[in-house]
Amino acid sequence: MSNKKSKECFFCVNQLDVDYKDVRTLRRFVNFYMKILPGSRTGVCAWHQRKLTQAIKRARVMSLLAPTHK
Amino acid sequence: MSKSKPSGSSRYEMLFIVPNNFTEDEAKSIVAKVEGIVTENGATIVFSEFWGKKKLAYIIKQNHYGYYSLCEFDIDRDALTKIDRVLRLSNEVLRHQIISIPAVTDAERLAIKEKQTQASKSDKKEEKPNSKEKISKVVDKKEDKKEDKKESSKAELKDLDQKLEGIITAKDLL
Repeated sequence: MSNKKSKECFFCVNQLDVDYKDVRTLRRFVNFYMKILPGSRTGVCAWHQRKLTQAIKRARVMSLLAPTHK
Repeated sequence: MSKSKPSGSSRYEMLFIVPNNFTEDEAKSIVAKVEGIVTENGATIVFSEFWGKKKLAYIIKQNHYGYYSLCEFDIDRDALTKIDRVLRLSNEVLRHQIISIPAVTDAERLAIKEKQTQASKSDKKEEKPNSKEKISKVVDKKEDKKEDKKESSKAELKDLDQKLEGIITAKDLL
């Protein structure tokens, strides 16, 4: 994820549903320390940001995403 | 959305991990067993997918790797708790997660996957030139000799990583 704030919501633009199994896209919304980035940083709309946080947490439970960096 | 589903039942999705102390064939038989448990409790399996062996993001019960399997089914909410209980007690399933999802047809599922891959591809195109520019800037600043040394050491590190992974997998298989 670039440091610049993208104005458009990634999921609205690409017409994607947030999926906890799609780790590649989830990785974009997590920082180096594997913390969930805030909506103000990611540019994702509030509705999708709520789905996104849930998806990231689900991915963590199933060991698809690490909860912290090593 | 399928309108002809029986009343009271709804679509759920289950992802579960089989530990790495089984071989792939054994893991597949375990997956079949788990799906048997699901159908015994009155579910109709709509979709199932074996992801194969994957590296876990963190160690679970001393397992570095696991076999992932996905399963979608229609079931009553009450019967769901039974499946949950059985799988939680079994040693053959490392971890499982059941999630309610909207009912999706096979064609729609494919379309979603395509969209995901397309989205990731388009991002790559945007990101790649930026990273290359950064690298070129760094290269200009530094001397040529140092770069060669660094590159060779990086290559060695990569080889080491690969070897280490191989060793880890071998240990797990024993």
